[in-house]
Amino acid sequence: MTITNHPLPEAAFTELAEGGGSPATMRRLGGAQRSKHLMLLHAIAEAAVGSEAGPTAFRAGYEHLARIQDTAPGAATWLLDLPHLGGWVHDTLIHLDQGTAADFGHFACLVSAAAIRAGLPADLDVPVQDGRVRLPGLGSLQVTSEKAWVRLRSDGERVTVGDEFVAGARLMRPDDGTGMGVPGWSGTPAIRAAGGGLAWTVLLETGDPYLDRYTLPMRAAMPAVEVTDWRERVRSAWQIVAGGHRSTAEPMADVISVIVPLTPRSGTDLVSATTPAAYGAIATSWPPDEVTLAETLVHEFHHVKLCGLLDMVPLASSGEQHVYAPWRQDPRPASGLLQGVYAHLGIARFWQAQQHAETDADGLLRAQVLFARWRPAIGETAQTLLETGSLTPAGVRFAERLRAQGQQLMATPVPAEAAQLAAEVALDHRLTWRLRHVAAEPAGVAALAEAYRRGEPCPGEAPTWVQEDVRKVDSGLRSRLLNLRYLEPARYQALCGDGVLPLSEADRLLLGRSSEAAVQAYRTQIADSADPQPDAWIGLALALHQLPPSPPRAALAAWLVQMTEVHARLADGTDPLDLASWFA
Amino acid sequence: MPSQEKDIETVIPDLHDIPVDRLAELGSSALAHSIALYRERLRENGVPLSSFQARI
Repeated sequence: MTITNHPLPEAAFTELAEGGGSPATMRRLGGAQRSKHLMLLHAIAEAAVGSEAGPTAFRAGYEHLARIQDTAPGAATWLLDLPHLGGWVHDTLIHLDQGTAADFGHFACLVSAAAIRAGLPADLDVPVQDGRVRLPGLGSLQVTSEKAWVRLRSDGERVTVGDEFVAGARLMRPDDGTGMGVPGWSGTPAIRAAGGGLAWTVLLETGDPYLDRYTLPMRAAMPAVEVTDWRERVRSAWQIVAGGHRSTAEPMADVISVIVPLTPRSGTDLVSATTPAAYGAIATSWPPDEVTLAETLVHEFHHVKLCGLLDMVPLASSGEQHVYAPWRQDPRPASGLLQGVYAHLGIARFWQAQQHAETDADGLLRAQVLFARWRPAIGETAQTLLETGSLTPAGVRFAERLRAQGQQLMATPVPAEAAQLAAEVALDHRLTWRLRHVAAEPAGVAALAEAYRRGEPCPGEAPTWVQEDVRKVDSGLRSRLLNLRYLEPARYQALCGDGVLPLSEADRLLLGRSSEAAVQAYRTQIADSADPQPDAWIGLALALHQLPPSPPRAALAAWLVQMTEVHARLADGTDPLDLASWFA
Repeated sequence: MPSQEKDIETVIPDLHDIPVDRLAELGSSALAHSIALYRERLRENGVPLSSFQARI
C-alpha cells in the first residue's frame, strides 16, 4: 500500500492567499485535517500499549473506529472533523513526547459519541470524570457508579451504562434550547442561526477540557441565562455575516462548528483566539455587541483557514527577528506576523463591506475608521514580512499576494474625517511601539547630540534595533480615548465631559483638537522636565499630525526614538521642536 | 490555450481511504516521515496560538 500527500492546486493556494476560501477549497483543507488526525491517531496507537485501563480502552476505541469507517463513513468523518478530537490528539502527543501521563481512555468517549450520534452500536469502557461520562460534541452523561470506568453500550437506539438503561441514543444530542430535558443528560449548548438564507449550527463548548486551551480559561459551567445571551448574540452576529459578508459566511458555516467562550480578564477587553490543534473552533470572550462579534468571527475564521493551510504547506519559520505589527503591543516573529496580517485582511474587508450595512451615524463612522485603519496595514505588513527573510518560497508567494490585496484596498475612497482619525490612532500605535521596543546605539546618540550642540547639520541616524520593553511608556489612557472617539462616541463624550479622567492639560488639548495649544503644552512639558517624557513626545507628534504637514511633523513621525534619546543626552531643556527641525 | 494547473506539494499524507486498522501496514513510509516531522514541529514550537486582544 502506498500513499501520496494531499494535493493542493495552485489556484486554491492563490485563492487562500488572496483572503478567499471557497467551499471547495475549504473541503480540501478539511480533508487534510482529517488525514492529520488519522496520522496522529496512528502515532498514539503505536504508544498505546500495555494492560492498563487507558491504553486498553484506546485500543478498543481504535478498533471500533475502524468498524465505523467501514460501515458508516459519515460518522467517522464527523469524529475526525471534531475540534474536540484535535485538542485531545495534540495534548496526548505532547504528553507522550514529554513522558507525562496521557489520557488514552478519552478516545473511547470520542468514539462512543460518534457511534451514539449515528445510531450505531457501541460497547466500550469509558472513563468517568466528576460523576459524568463525556461524549465530546454531544454532551455528558451523569452516572451513578462511583467507579473510575464504566461500560457504555448502545444497540443504536438504547444506551446503557453497566446494566442500567440511561437514555435513548436519539435524545443524547446537543441542547439547542428547544428540546425536552433528558434525566442525567446534559447536552452541549448548540446555537442554530440563520441569516440571508444561510443556516449555521455551532456548539457553545463549555465543558470539554481539551478545548480549554486558549490564553484565557474557558467560561465553564455557564448559567442558562448566559447561554441564552450567547445564543441571541451569535444569531444576531450571524445575520450580519451572512447578510453582508457572504463569501466568508458560506465556508464559515461549513468549517466552524464550535465557539469556546472565554473568561475575560476585564469587562472591557475582548479576547479571541484560535489554535491549529482545534481546527473548526473559535474562542472568544463575551463580545460587547453583535457587530463586534461578527468582526471577531470573520477575524478568527481567517486564522482557522491559515492554520489549515500551514498544516499542509509551511510558509514561515519561527525566525529570530521580531518586528512591528500594527495590531499588537509586542514585537512579533514572522510566523505571528503572517497570521496577523492575514486575519487583518479579513478584518479590513469586513469593515469595507460594513460601511454599506451600517444605518446610524456612529456605526458608519466606526466602519469607516476601522476600514481606513487596517487597509494600509495589509500592504505595509506584508512588505515587512517579505523583508524578514523568514518565509519559505511558498510563503513569499503568499505574502506577495497579500501585499497586492492590501494595495487594492487602498484604491477605495475614505471620508476625510475617518481617514484623519485612523491615521492618528495608527501613528499613536506605531510611535508607542517604537518608544517601547526600539533601542538606539548609545555611541550614535552621543554623536548626534554632539553635532547638535556644535550647531552642525544632522549627520544621519543612530543605529537602532528591536529590544522588547526597552522604555516604559504610559500613555494607555490617551490611546484608549483616541480609539473611543470612533468606537463609542457617546461614551467618549461623556468621559471627556465630566473632567475626572487623569489626563495632562496637553492631552486634554490634543483630544479637544486644540492642536496649536497642545503642541505648546507638550513642548513645555518636555523642555521643563529633567526626566524623559516619552508620553509627551508621542503627544507632540500627534498634535503636530493634526496640523498641516511640516518638517518637524515628518521628523517626529520618522525619528522619534533617536530624538528622545538625543534630548535626554543633551539634558539642557532643549526645545523639542528645535530638535525636530534639526533632524528634519 | 488553457494552462495545466499544477499542484503544490504538501506535507500531509492523504489517508482518506485508509482504515485506521490498516495504517500500521504502511510501516516506515511517508506516513512515519510525516508523523516525525509533525512531532518535531510540536516539540520545537508547541501548539501555536493566535490570540488577539482588542481594547474596547
